[in-house]
Amino acid sequence: MEVFANLWMGFGVAISLQNLFYAFIGVLLGTLIGVLPGIGPVATIAMLLPITFNLNPLSALIMLAGIYYGAQYGGSTTAILVNIPGESSSVVTCLDGYQMARQGRAGPALAVAALGSFFAGCVATLIIAVAAPPLAEVALKFGPSEYFSLMVFGLIAATVLAHGSLIKAIAMVVWGLLFGIIGTDVNSGVLRFTFDIPELSDGIGFVIVAMGMFGATEIIMNLEQKEKREIFTSKVTNLWPTKDDFRSAWPAVLRGTALGSCLGILPGGGALLSSFGAYTVEKKLSSHPERFGKGAIEGVAGPESANNAGAQTSFIPMLTLGIPGNAVMALMIGALMIQGIAPGPQVMNEKPQLFWGLIASMWIGNLMLVVLNLPLIGMWVKLLTVPYRYLFPSILVFMAIGVYSLSNNPFDVLIMAVFGVLGYICAKLECEPAPMILGFILGPLMEENLRRAMLLSRGDPTVFFTKPISAAFMVASLILLVVVALPAIRKKREEAFAEETK
Amino acid sequence: MRRSFLAALAAAVLPAAAADWPARPIHLVVPYAPGGPVDVSARVLAVPLQTALGQPVVVDNKPGAGGNIGADAVAKSAADGHTLVMGAIATHAINPSLYRNFPYDPVRDFRHVALVVQVPNVLVANNDVPARSVAELVAFLKANPGKAAFASGSTGSTGHLAGELFKQLTGTDMVHVPYKGSAPAVLDLLAGRVQIMFDNLASALPNIRAGKVRALAVTTATRSSFVPELPTIEGFDLTTWWGVMAPAKTPEAVVERLAREIRAAIEQPDVKEKLRAMGSETPGVRSPAAFTAFVEKELKTYSALVKRSGATAD
Amino acid sequence: MKIKSPKDFWSGLMFVASGGFFAIWAIVHYQMGTAVRMGPAYFPTMLGGLLVVLGLIILLGSLAMEGPAVPQFHFRPLVMISIGLVLYGYLMKPLGLVGATAALVYVGAAGGHEYRWKEVTILYAILILFSWLVFVKGLSLPFPLWPAAYS
Repeated sequence: MEVFANLWMGFGVAISLQNLFYAFIGVLLGTLIGVLPGIGPVATIAMLLPITFNLNPLSALIMLAGIYYGAQYGGSTTAILVNIPGESSSVVTCLDGYQMARQGRAGPALAVAALGSFFAGCVATLIIAVAAPPLAEVALKFGPSEYFSLMVFGLIAATVLAHGSLIKAIAMVVWGLLFGIIGTDVNSGVLRFTFDIPELSDGIGFVIVAMGMFGATEIIMNLEQKEKREIFTSKVTNLWPTKDDFRSAWPAVLRGTALGSCLGILPGGGALLSSFGAYTVEKKLSSHPERFGKGAIEGVAGPESANNAGAQTSFIPMLTLGIPGNAVMALMIGALMIQGIAPGPQVMNEKPQLFWGLIASMWIGNLMLVVLNLPLIGMWVKLLTVPYRYLFPSILVFMAIGVYSLSNNPFDVLIMAVFGVLGYICAKLECEPAPMILGFILGPLMEENLRRAMLLSRGDPTVFFTKPISAAFMVASLILLVVVALPAIRKKREEAFAEETK
Repeated sequence: MRRSFLAALAAAVLPAAAADWPARPIHLVVPYAPGGPVDVSARVLAVPLQTALGQPVVVDNKPGAGGNIGADAVAKSAADGHTLVMGAIATHAINPSLYRNFPYDPVRDFRHVALVVQVPNVLVANNDVPARSVAELVAFLKANPGKAAFASGSTGSTGHLAGELFKQLTGTDMVHVPYKGSAPAVLDLLAGRVQIMFDNLASALPNIRAGKVRALAVTTATRSSFVPELPTIEGFDLTTWWGVMAPAKTPEAVVERLAREIRAAIEQPDVKEKLRAMGSETPGVRSPAAFTAFVEKELKTYSALVKRSGATAD
Repeated sequence: MKIKSPKDFWSGLMFVASGGFFAIWAIVHYQMGTAVRMGPAYFPTMLGGLLVVLGLIILLGSLAMEGPAVPQFHFRPLVMISIGLVLYGYLMKPLGLVGATAALVYVGAAGGHEYRWKEVTILYAILILFSWLVFVKGLSLPFPLWPAAYS
């Protein structure tokens, strides 16, 4: 089959010493910056851009791509170890991964994350090789109405993230949506809720909110414990997952991979939706959903596979259509254009070595990442045994540097502190931050797509139900709403009933 | 006259200012997030520039408020030639009319050192639109008022204002659909959800060459050497541009030397090649004085355009 | 009328207040537009209204059904960590990386319950060295190392 011939050629190019070297540098750097909170792949790739000028296009792409998916691995590491999501798609990993770390199971969590990501990366790379152009056509079919319906579906799924009261989770989602509105309205250009503070005119950065509500809040809560109990139990059981762990995890990996591969193709928000979509799926399919949020390994395996699959398939629109799915892809397009290559439909045909070499290198990169990350698990777990009174100021410093380095603006650090306080209040009131953060990210996108869909349909609201893909998601949302609400309503009725008969 | 006399006097009395400069790394502020064309070109420029100046040229990203935050920061920074900004059409010609509380004066608070990139916009249409020339497009639009939509990278961008100017000059009606950046806009253009776009040449060229969209004209007053087959539009002279600027009180000698070095840098073959890859020809505006005059002209043009389009940021 | 579930009561109140704020601010300051051609105020008003409704439901529920009490607020870690972070950001330019990190480490450490000067100082030394090596030298981030007065 032609695909295999092409892949063979791709591997031939990717295995050159130079390309192997750059793949390694890329994934190493990516892992490092993924672990360091705040500094993300976008800033790193931008800084390294001049280096790529002297490289040939394939080596440049290999290195930059390595940084990108390497950062995904690194981001899961901080999510599990210190409850700080490195990338938006790692938010979900915090939920159960961090709890596992607190129970002394950081090793299995990290291992499952790495192995699941590797599996997902392999599968996704294969998908790109086999089906890139037709999948790109699917991406083209997603217009604003389809995106809006997808996001409605995603938001309802977000409420499943909470393990407490459903109605509070919905309220947190809505609150997150509102916070996301702060900034410039795409459709009218008007500044909303910025109170004449110029730093707010592009909204509050996700990283800042995440570090505040997840990282800072967690530290403050931990410091409240008056007893000298260590936060991370020193009773580390295993560095490696148990047989049971593997048994629970591998179906989650499969499901997550499938979901991530599908959703990653969609430019704009696809990869994020896949990780928490995977979490929702796992929680809903589980026979013991109450384990989620307390250290269920499926809650790590599914989302991690999903977000890595999504990261790989997000290359598809870039490679086949020249359309960047996110800021990192935009940078890579920039790097290619500087090299004189205009990414677009022609690249696959005119420069097959570039296309197939990159795909082959993605597989190699994933392999390198697993080889790199697995031995590090021992080191990370050892790090957690440091007494908390040394650990937490260090975490604070990294968080502060990370946030400050975003735009060298103290205002960002202030906002992080504000959200830290807010997160603390919410924690005391048992209102969970994860649904809010997802509402925060998806809110502005939802509104943008809603209004744009109405603009394009010249004011016809039925467009959400007449377009097939959009209608499908709307119907699915309704079903999901019922599925999510039923157990909660039943529980409340039981509680109310129990109250009455008391 | 008086200005150049004072400048000569200053240069004579304070030769140390120029001789000492640069004394430490130079910060070139890019008022946009990393990865965009302004950022990439700044990094491209930094490489030969730091060789020529003997001090590192560090790119600082200070994004926000359409570029205003970064530009404002430099306007108010020390005028010793170590802090510069890539001022763009957005920060120096469009935003002053777009934002109610505008923090700086684009002409008086800056020395306009050198124009680095100037990219034309291209009028592109989705392949299903029954028009192969501007005339045919106008006919189509007049026959279908309000049916066609044009996409832009943001409200108040050159793509948006170009569209408004087009509507005004041709007396046609199109719905404006803003996006967050030109990439999602191009996606919808390819899919046929919007019909028209005034995209910048660099991002449109690959799709034009691949036949995925149909290019109808350029927005500059003269044809572009990249797409010489495309005609110009009557009454249009719009480009997207950006260049290096410094705070207003920067010593004259520093400005002169910087301008000279930047001009030399962008003439270097490999740098020129990279900037051409963005669709930019070497700008015709060559001196700081000419640049200032250019900025003034652009400011006037776009103030009028923005007012007529009714776009505001608050 | 007894508050049977303090956690829910205060949550509900929090939601009502924020939802109300967003909705009212939007209505006052931005254009509403119509349902088919939404203005900038439309979405925030709808959402704000929804949040108020949800908050009221939670609020009323807290008066009807038993629920847990709000756990005690411990102000020391909260205040120290927050102030430490804020100081870091605003002291970076005037006092450089050394000053900002010092503020964060010393103030932040005060949020814990054991404060030993020597330990904190050693920790500070390690952290400043690491920050400098990795971030300033390694990643060439443009942080001023020393206070502005000295550079």
